[in-house]
Amino acid sequence: MSVVSAFLIPGSPLPYVQRDNPPWGAMADALDKAGTALAASKPDVIAIYSTQWIAVLDQLWQVRANPTGLHVDENWHEYGELPFDMRTDTELAEAAIAATDSYGIRSKGVDYDQFPVDTGTIVASNFLDPESQFKSVVTANNLYHDWTITENLGRVVREQAERLGRRVALVGVGGLSGSFFRQVIDIADDHIANADEDAWNQRILAMMEKGDIAALADACADFAQQARAEMGFKHFAYLLGGMGGDFNGAIVHHYGALYGTGGAVVEFQL
Amino acid sequence: MSQGEIIAGLLAPHPPHLVFGENPQQNEPRSKGGWEQLRWAYERARANLEAMKPDVLLVHSPHWITQQGHHFLGVEHLSGKSVDPIFPNIFRYDFELEVDVELAEACCEQAADMGLTSKMMRNPNFRVDYGTITTLHMMRPQWDIPVVGISANNSPYFLSTEEGLEEMDVLGKATRKAIEATGRRAVLLASNTLCHYHFSKEPIPPEDMSQEHPENFEGYLWDMRMIELLREGKIQEVFRLLPQFIDEAFAEVKSGAFTWMFSAMDYPELPGELHGYGTVIGTGNAVMEWNLIKAGLAKAA
Repeated sequence: MSVVSAFLIPGSPLPYVQRDNPPWGAMADALDKAGTALAASKPDVIAIYSTQWIAVLDQLWQVRANPTGLHVDENWHEYGELPFDMRTDTELAEAAIAATDSYGIRSKGVDYDQFPVDTGTIVASNFLDPESQFKSVVTANNLYHDWTITENLGRVVREQAERLGRRVALVGVGGLSGSFFRQVIDIADDHIANADEDAWNQRILAMMEKGDIAALADACADFAQQARAEMGFKHFAYLLGGMGGDFNGAIVHHYGALYGTGGAVVEFQL
Repeated sequence: MSQGEIIAGLLAPHPPHLVFGENPQQNEPRSKGGWEQLRWAYERARANLEAMKPDVLLVHSPHWITQQGHHFLGVEHLSGKSVDPIFPNIFRYDFELEVDVELAEACCEQAADMGLTSKMMRNPNFRVDYGTITTLHMMRPQWDIPVVGISANNSPYFLSTEEGLEEMDVLGKATRKAIEATGRRAVLLASNTLCHYHFSKEPIPPEDMSQEHPENFEGYLWDMRMIELLREGKIQEVFRLLPQFIDEAFAEVKSGAFTWMFSAMDYPELPGELHGYGTVIGTGNAVMEWNLIKAGLAKAA
């Protein structure tokens, strides 16, 4: 079995940079739990798809052996820096790049000093692998790729991991509902900005908990549109493709607000 | 202190390809040239800027996207290496710039007074976005004029286009008041492409100009229509058509810089000087200038 665990997590930096705020601290605690579960699945590599790594030409894959640096989020710069120190499974990344051709996707590796690794990828890496035990494969969110293409990206990772004998933890990084507070709020009182979107989030999470894939397949497009889900909820498409379109259920470690948007830490049962 | 004023506004798009084509020392990748019409357009704009002798350049960039309000660079000295996340193969640029923090703070406060959410960016490790850097390099490669960098709040995308651009209009008015109050002679740079339909594949090499042309004919026609109106100084008509242009040509002016700049200049019905037009991976780019000194609306240095 190439995919040994799978997680959906939010890419907001707030739980990482402001953990002592109770609503975000609860999310941070859940991310810690996900990290423990990920380590227990004994992966060789963490395969991350982050909505915040935006591509418009080609499908980009990180192939730099050791991306390191210090990132400042463009919106939340007042809360400090996000350091990162990752190790790429370049063999698996290159194999994925080569294999996407057969799905009609043109891919390209990026191998540049000080390439701006996105906030979501850093948050995922720092919470889920705080000791930098595992190698990673990271791919971008091409704005022009739809649900099906994104599912195929997950599928490619799964197939190539199987071919190379890798044990993979899949991580889809992105939010649930997208309405956020545009004004400054009391962060201790953060909550989902829109009641209808809150209901949608809970409905989707309940389907995940039950492993009701048919219902999710029916609902995801409407959810993405009506709840303004981040980037069309394509991070879940990536996970679904990587899980072979199947999972038995899920544990929702936490669901909560990130400046009004919805975020959840979900561990899928394979 | 005498009252400050805006002495010019320029539409100054930011494709990093233009820096790549120029091969400045600061940019690591090398090219055989390319996009000359646009680079020559910027040469003309640079010469005019030199003659204006501004105190400060203000740039509004669509590649510094913020959700909570309109942000302003607020650290006196910023430096680093800017690697374009979309085109890392052509833009890896060592930048170093000085910020006019006093003016930035005045803009931020004025925006807040006028009802906008606004915030100063005080983190010294912040990496300035490539849109800001490209526009500033193309306008003033010497980097010897202080700058004010302004983020693109995503209101035109989160709200409706019209609601979002109304915010940019307020931001422009706030910017003008801040410039007047601080006594600066300021040039505004709207870092926007026009038609934003682009190719999904990059030529090899990227500077192969035999592959460069408008991606979309309807978008090209829209660009020409808007440029003609701008050259004739029919600004009111441009802004009447703007939402339709944005919708049908996928125009990047949606992100707000163009509206911010014209609002700050009080929408003068003044013919713009077209320095040049060209496409970059199929998108439409015009370098245009509204020189308020030449028009008698601002004082010469």
